[in-house]
Amino acid sequence: MATKIRTQQGEQFTEIKILISHPMENGRNRDPMTGQLIPAHFIQELKVEKNDRTMITAQLGGSMSQNPFFTFRMKDSKSGDRLRVYWIDNLGLSDSAEHVIE
Amino acid sequence: MHRRHFIKKLFSLAAAAITGCFPWRLATAAWPETHFGKGELNQLFRALFGEQTLIESDDIHVSLPETAENGAVVPITISSELEQISRIYIWVEKNPTPLAAEFELDASMAVYLTARIKMAESCHVVVVAEQGQHLLRKQQWVKVMQGGCGTG
Repeated sequence: MATKIRTQQGEQFTEIKILISHPMENGRNRDPMTGQLIPAHFIQELKVEKNDRTMITAQLGGSMSQNPFFTFRMKDSKSGDRLRVYWIDNLGLSDSAEHVIE
Repeated sequence: MHRRHFIKKLFSLAAAAITGCFPWRLATAAWPETHFGKGELNQLFRALFGEQTLIESDDIHVSLPETAENGAVVPITISSELEQISRIYIWVEKNPTPLAAEFELDASMAVYLTARIKMAESCHVVVVAEQGQHLLRKQQWVKVMQGGCGTG
C-alpha cells in the first residue's frame, strides 16, 4: 500500500491529486478460486493537512473504488506549503505521505 | 476462565503495541458506522438528516458518465461556486451500502473534488452538500453496463 501526492499550481487554485493503492474490499466479493468471501478491507478515514491545519477529512466506505484517486483544490496556498495526507483502514492499517508545494 | 481472560488481555496488548507504532494513528472509532449502513436511501437520509428537507439545487454541479462500462470504477466530479459548503456526501442509490463517502472541507478549500466510486447497477448518484443550515441535493442517473457482484 502506497500513498502518492502531486500538486499543480493553477491561476486560482492549487490542485492536489492523491493516489492510494488499496484493495477497498467491501466484504461482499468472493474469491474466484475458492468461492470464499473476501473480508472487508477498506480505508475509513482520509485526512489532508496543510502546515498542520486540517483541510479535508473524508469518511469512506466500501463503495469507493479500488486504488482510490482524489482531486481537491486549495484556494490560497504558496510555494513551500507542506501537505500531509494520511489514512487508516478498517483493519487499523495506516499510511501517510508528505509533499512540499514547489 | 482465567486463562481466557489472560489471552484476551495479551491480544489487546499486542494490538495496542502494533497500532501504537503508527505515528499518524487516527481513532477508527470516529468512523460513523451508521452513516455507512445498509438500507434504502430515504431511510438512511432520515436517520442522518432527520426531518430536514433536502433542497434540489442546480448550483451543485455533478459530473458523471451517462453510461458506465464498468461499475467498479465510475469517475465523479463535484463542484460549486456556492460559499460556505462545509460537507459533501456521495450516495449510490442502489448499492447495498449506499453512502460512498463524506467529505468535510475547510473554508480555504474550493468546492471541487473528484473521486471514483463503485456502482452495483444502474441508478441515481445523489450528492448532498451542507451549506450552513441547508442541505442541497443534486442527483444524476447513471446507466451501468457491467455492475457485477460485490462492486457496490
